[in-house]
Formats: sequence, C-alpha cells, structure tokens
Amino acid sequence: MSERIVMAIVEEELQFSLDELCRACHAREEQVRVWVDEGVLTPLGESATEWRFAGASLRRARLALTLTRELEINAPGVALVLDLMDEIEALKASLRRRSAR
Amino acid sequence: MKFHDYYSTLGVARDASDDDIKKAYRKLARKYHPDVSKEADAEARFKEIGEASEVLRDPEKRAAYDALGSRWQQEQAAGRPGGPDAEFRPPPGWDAGFEFSGRGDEAEDLFGGAGHSDFFEALFGRAARGAAPGARRPGMRMPGQDHHAKVLIDLEDAYRGAKRSISLQMPGLDAQGHGVLHERTLDITIPKGLREGQHLRLAGQGGPGLGDGPTGDLFLEIAFKPHRLYRVDGRDVLLDLPLAPWEAALGASVSAPTPDGDVELTIPPGSAAGRKLRLRGKGIPASSPGGTAGDLYVVLTIALPPSGSDAARRAYEAFKAAFDFDPRAGLKGATP
Repeated sequence: MSERIVMAIVEEELQFSLDELCRACHAREEQVRVWVDEGVLTPLGESATEWRFAGASLRRARLALTLTRELEINAPGVALVLDLMDEIEALKASLRRRSAR
Repeated sequence: MKFHDYYSTLGVARDASDDDIKKAYRKLARKYHPDVSKEADAEARFKEIGEASEVLRDPEKRAAYDALGSRWQQEQAAGRPGGPDAEFRPPPGWDAGFEFSGRGDEAEDLFGGAGHSDFFEALFGRAARGAAPGARRPGMRMPGQDHHAKVLIDLEDAYRGAKRSISLQMPGLDAQGHGVLHERTLDITIPKGLREGQHLRLAGQGGPGLGDGPTGDLFLEIAFKPHRLYRVDGRDVLLDLPLAPWEAALGASVSAPTPDGDVELTIPPGSAAGRKLRLRGKGIPASSPGGTAGDLYVVLTIALPPSGSDAARRAYEAFKAAFDFDPRAGLKGATP
C-alpha cells in the first residue's frame, strides 16, 4: 500500500509565512515576532502579513524554541547563542579549507 | 527495566529544594544540550536529565516517585537479589492515591513519543504528559498539527537519489486513553544532494485537522547512518586512506573508494600522515543544476607492515641502518 506523497527539501525549495512557520515549529506567533525583532530570524517583506521566511528558518526557529524552553534563555540571549553557533560553523569551515591542500 | 534514580541523575540530595533541582538541571542541560554539546552521549544524557527534572519539579510526580523509591530501596536493603541493576517492576497499585492532573506543557512535542524511558512510561504513562485533546466544539475548524521525525539515510542515497520505505513510530492514544505507538510505513523519494540537518516536508502527512481543517504536514529531519568508510561534514565527505610508508615517502598511484565509485589518486612524494587531498566536486552532489557540489577529502594515514617474521625484522633493521633519523628531535629542550 503506497500513497503519492508530495515532498520538498525545506531548506532549498520552501518559504514559510508567519502562520506556516508557527505551525511547523510549534511556536506561538508572539514568540516568532519577538525573534524577528531580535534578529534571530530575518524574513523578507515589510509587514508581518507579508513575511516570507527562508526554509532554513525552520531549523533555526526550532533551535531557538529549544533554547528558550529548555535553557530559559531570553530572546536577546537566543540571538547571541545562534550568532555564536553560526560563527563557530564558519570558523570550522574556514579551518577545513586551510588544512586542505 | 531498571530503576532510575532521578536524584543521582541530577546530582542533588533527596531533600533538595525546587530551586536546587532547577539549578542542577540548568547546569546539566547547558552541558548536555544536543545542539550545543560536544559530549558523545549528549542526546541520551539530555533526555535523562530532562526526564529527571520533569518528575522532580512536578510536586505530584515527585511525591509519587519518592514513595515508590523508598519502598524500592527498603526491598533492596532487605536483601532482594540483584543490587542496583535488579529488574524493576512497579508494584501493583503503587500509584493509588496519586492523581496526576496531566498538566503538560508545550515542551512535550519537542521530544515526541520516544523521549521517555520505559521506567517513566511505566510510572506516569504517556497520558500523564498532558496533550489532552482539545474539546471538539461543533463547527470548529483547525488545521492538523505538523509532525516532526528524524530519519537515518545512507550516504550513497544522497549521491544518487533513491526510493526508500521508512517506518515511523507515531505516539497516539488507544481507546482506553493509554499511550500506544502506531507504526506506519511511508514510501519516500530521497532527492539527490540531500544533506544532513536538512528537512523534507511531506505535505498532508501530519496530524488530522479538526472539523474540515486540512491535515498537517510531516517534517523529516535527515541524518546519515554512520558509514564504515566515510565521514560527512556538510556537503563534504572525508575518507581515511591508509598508505604503506614507501607509498607516502616515494609517492604512488593508488585506488581509493568514493561513494561514487573508485578513483585513481596520485600520492605526492613525501606525504605526511594527516595530509588531506581534495577531490573537488566529489562530495555530496548539488541538489539543483545551479547548486554547489561538496568536495571529497582523502585524509592520508600510514600503516606499518607487521614485523612478525624474520625477513620483516631484517627489513626494518636495514631501514633503521639506512637513516640517521630521530622522530623526536623536535621535542628536545621542551622540559626545563
């Protein structure tokens, strides 16, 4: 028994509206608005009704939610943690490039 | 099933205050959070401390757990065989007199159904985690919940794309309100170029909607099964390639496996162990025509031939005689 399933790679093919992102990461709308204010997420579009979040926002928002709930980090703290994690990733990548021929 | 000592998991005393428990949890949660921790067993430890904190920070669950725990210890002390590793079964009726209000919070869905140990499930069950179904008011229309699951795929499938059947365990409630796992099988197409940490969205495969609301979506987070030969780093793939000492010293042409098939490699003379050779574009391929493919890094290691036979020992002796070589020359003068 197999059904036809419509599939997409989130990070490459999808964008989320505010509502879709909230549903996908199980966060409340106010929470996502706070993250946008703090620069955790940077959607395209002027007003919240026009916001389009890149696919990679799903992972970021889920991570932000975990940091908020499990470690009780406030929104500026979450923004800082995620920025530092991005920086660590970038440094690791440049280290890999350097050590290779 | 083993008895779980939640107090020792968090490293607190049995009479620890709420505040102490909270502090201990925070500290451990920071240390073992799978998103930030580099500890090998971070995810398992994080679940353990999460479970311990969930029980000890909820007055109802803590009281029930304490009552059960002291009974268990008395039985252990009274010489029940097995010691701390003994099989634990909750005695029948142990929870009589405790009413769980089932006050779940939103963190529930972050861990999904597999987040708790058998021990926890036996004591508190899934129903105790809250997630009480909302009252269905007539005419109410709500989209179904989006679900999340992690799946492991083979690295080779990301190179070529593949059709695979995956089975997922979905927590649900049976007719009596007990937690059960439903297994379901999905046929999915793994797109070429898929990377670890990316998500696949399966439209309409999540929770059912309320009323005539649409079904939610299912998000699958992708990870690779550990591979015997390759390590994966984003788009890049690493392979350890053993060389004989003479191949490393003199240079050689050797064959190396890649997920795409064998390649011929030219090893430059004088290659040290740890040297990385980059095969551009031989990592995980691009997922779209304009995209970037990853690279394959071949990390050289040097394998010594066994010195068991007389002939081999003579060869090593000749090797030694031929060089005036001190591999530790650079260490001299390091100690004051």
